[in-house]
Amino acid sequence: MSEQSTHTPAVGTSYVRTDLEGKVLGTAEYTADIALPNMLHARVLRSPHPHANILGIEIGSATKLDGVFDVLTPFNVPEGKVAPDVPILDSRVRFVGDEVAVVAAVDIDQAKAAIDLIDVCYEVLPFSTNVHDSLNSASFPIHSEGNLVNGGPLIETRGSIKEGFDQADYVVEDSFTTPDHHPASLEPRAALASWDGTRLTVWKPSRGIHADKNILASALGLSPNNIAVVGPAMGAGYGSKDETRTSVMAALLSIRTGRPVKLELDREEEFLAGRRRHSTYTEIKMGLKKDGTITAVHAKTIMDTGAYLSSGPGVVRRAGQGILYLYKCANVKYEGQLVYTNTPTAGSYRALGAPQGHFALESLSDKASEILNMDPLEFRFKNHVGPEGQPGERTTPRNQIIDTQPVEGGVPFSSNELRQCLKLGAEAIGWDRRDYIENAAGPIRRGIGMSMFIYRGGPGGQSNAEISLDQDGLFTLNVGFMDVGEGSSTVVIQMAADTLGIPPAMVRINGGHTDKTPESPMTAGSTLTFSAGHAAMQAAKDLKDAIINASLKLIGLGDSEGLYLTPNGVKSKCGESISFLDIVHNAGPIKTLASVTPGSKDYIVNSFGAHFAEIEVDTETGHIEIIKYIAVHDSGRIINPRLAEGQVRGGVSQMMGFTFLEDMEIDPHSGVALNASFLEHKSPTIMEYPEIEVIFADSIDPIGPFGAKSLGEPPCIAPAPTIANALYHATGVRINDLPLTPDSVLLAMKNLL
Amino acid sequence: MDSHLTSDRVDMDDNETTTKFIVNGREYSLKIDNRYTLLDILRDHLRLTGAKKGCDLGECGACTVLLDGKVVNSCQILAARIKDKDIRTVEGLSQSETLHPLQLAFIENDGGQCGYCTPGFIMAAYPLFESEEELSTEEIKLSLAGNLCRCNAYGSIIDSVAYALEIKTNE
Repeated sequence: MSEQSTHTPAVGTSYVRTDLEGKVLGTAEYTADIALPNMLHARVLRSPHPHANILGIEIGSATKLDGVFDVLTPFNVPEGKVAPDVPILDSRVRFVGDEVAVVAAVDIDQAKAAIDLIDVCYEVLPFSTNVHDSLNSASFPIHSEGNLVNGGPLIETRGSIKEGFDQADYVVEDSFTTPDHHPASLEPRAALASWDGTRLTVWKPSRGIHADKNILASALGLSPNNIAVVGPAMGAGYGSKDETRTSVMAALLSIRTGRPVKLELDREEEFLAGRRRHSTYTEIKMGLKKDGTITAVHAKTIMDTGAYLSSGPGVVRRAGQGILYLYKCANVKYEGQLVYTNTPTAGSYRALGAPQGHFALESLSDKASEILNMDPLEFRFKNHVGPEGQPGERTTPRNQIIDTQPVEGGVPFSSNELRQCLKLGAEAIGWDRRDYIENAAGPIRRGIGMSMFIYRGGPGGQSNAEISLDQDGLFTLNVGFMDVGEGSSTVVIQMAADTLGIPPAMVRINGGHTDKTPESPMTAGSTLTFSAGHAAMQAAKDLKDAIINASLKLIGLGDSEGLYLTPNGVKSKCGESISFLDIVHNAGPIKTLASVTPGSKDYIVNSFGAHFAEIEVDTETGHIEIIKYIAVHDSGRIINPRLAEGQVRGGVSQMMGFTFLEDMEIDPHSGVALNASFLEHKSPTIMEYPEIEVIFADSIDPIGPFGAKSLGEPPCIAPAPTIANALYHATGVRINDLPLTPDSVLLAMKNLL
Repeated sequence: MDSHLTSDRVDMDDNETTTKFIVNGREYSLKIDNRYTLLDILRDHLRLTGAKKGCDLGECGACTVLLDGKVVNSCQILAARIKDKDIRTVEGLSQSETLHPLQLAFIENDGGQCGYCTPGFIMAAYPLFESEEELSTEEIKLSLAGNLCRCNAYGSIIDSVAYALEIKTNE
């Protein structure tokens, strides 16, 4: 085949991100940048109460104001739902900032003026701003089913923890908390809707235009065929930017007024009405033999889902993945409770629960190694789950696809280079010198810490891709997924181009419009490269066959054997050739559509990694400085090293907010968010950015497209426990409650004395 | 929700002034409401949407432009302050088909992920590019400290700016 390799493969090269030019020019269009003729502007009236019934709304003065076209209230909207527990508007409000009414007016000033004229009669209800109050039996129910979602915990178990703990020589246990962490994407939510009398078009930041179309259809009682969703460039969301009322309210206003309507949230609204990472309280317990073998792991996590359910059930499950699967252990149990509170809603945020679960697990592992008098790295080497998976019996029937976040034992991984990650990271950080660090006189203490992780991702839902050879002799990949800033368009182009045997520059991508693209799942759970990659490869493979068949007739050869694609067209072994332009001019454009259901019936597809950090702690100020940070990842074959490194460096830095700074604070007496702004909800700036070295394990997954696995979310899992473990090594202080602020460090040190 | 922003509405006409200013080399004379910010004027009146509204409070830097050569958050500049001023936005950096070296450097070094902060960072870095001084990484970081990137692509942003400065020095 080597004679056919007339072009350099794109997979494995740092091909330039395809959508970056528009972003540096300022021409890339985001939802808020779009304006339509006769467009109205909408503004939301939000609840000042954490919990109340709306008894009545007086909108007369507002509707009479010049330039006001419509006011939506819970009493004049259709009965559809945005999510199972979220009506279009509800006569019950459940957090300070919940939607009460929406105005559409000629401009935003007029809309704001109208908002001020709306008079709402509230019946204020008892409320709770934390899970412990919500779970109190005397607490007022936030939803009719009660405050504990499903009335009990999600329970996942393998083996018997009773037997496991009975076998243990030591039991180590502790409890941990993590904060309300807000993604606060720089682009606030926005939606533009235009109803032409029969058909609705909605522009919105989206990670799943086809899913959004179905949500709009169901909420508004329209046929999905009468809705188009357009996903312009997206100012990121990290998973959080859906499941809210924004686009439905804009759409309904457009339908009622017959004018295009744009609704842009401001920064404070994005903090309140967006989605945050669930805060957690976790009790975790580990049974150990004297030789370091883990006999049992048991964890109970309580998660605060806020006012609405959102993606909570998925997140609470994922917080248990490390607990259930990171360490080789026959007896494990995870119990996850999801609890309503009268606070802004939690939802999907990059790595969905895994950072919270791993913070508890990986902090406890360091405690376990200390009890065993064993080096923490050695403890991981001894106990990490290996390529063979967990002990136990497979319970998934043989003909069914294995879950990517399994509980059962007896199923191997498609690839698992966790051990390699540990070795590479230990070398890069210089773990050997950890026991010999000498601190100079003065307040600075140096320490080294590490942690490791496991994450699902890879196979997602059924994915479709269409690819065509067009009139201009170039190719178009037609896909329904959204590139939300992670660069998936670029890597999928690379994979399609290599499958065809042409340079990636010959492949355009067309996406972001439900009318023009085949159905695709959401960009979620780090599944896109794997799933859309497989679909694009299959479509490209089929297209290659179709092009070869077409050219066969045109060149007049009898045998497709020996025909192959080059950047210039189809060639035969004997030297005949035909250009792509000639093929399409004679045979017309050629198009193929592929549909794949990614996954494996034999293997678990998971990603792994280990992070290491060397830090300095100023024991007088409580400030922690990262001297060196090493992130080692097994994400299978890396399709685009520069983009992949950027994902890891960005993910680690983003989680420095979770580790050191960020917590949405809710006043317990009023339910008001105290820091719903960038000034008060401190996020990492460029000044806090540490040097991060990224290492990819040598790994090619046998199932992944071109050997790739997942990467988008995994960088976010290990940072917090890595830093907390380094802090302990540096100072002897273990902090179980994030974020690790300077005052919490100082307080913990004071308590130590 | 934004009680600090809403006020009793007054008749718009009383607040309008005809203001002359230059944006990206082009002269404008517009009748504008004095309470509008430069960011709103750029985005809503001139349809230059490269500068983004990330917070409207001067906290994120996504709306960064140059005002008489100085880096400003355009959301904090009221209309009255742009009279006779020379404003430059990200749209004014490239010359027809040719990208500015800073723009090329951001592409070359993957200096943006979602891209929402990118125009702001490029404009914040612009005076560094124009400066004759040799700058350390720390100085580059300090100059960009007013701009947030929630994708935290800071490493690639530092690389991009350093690369642009290096290319310029070597030219």
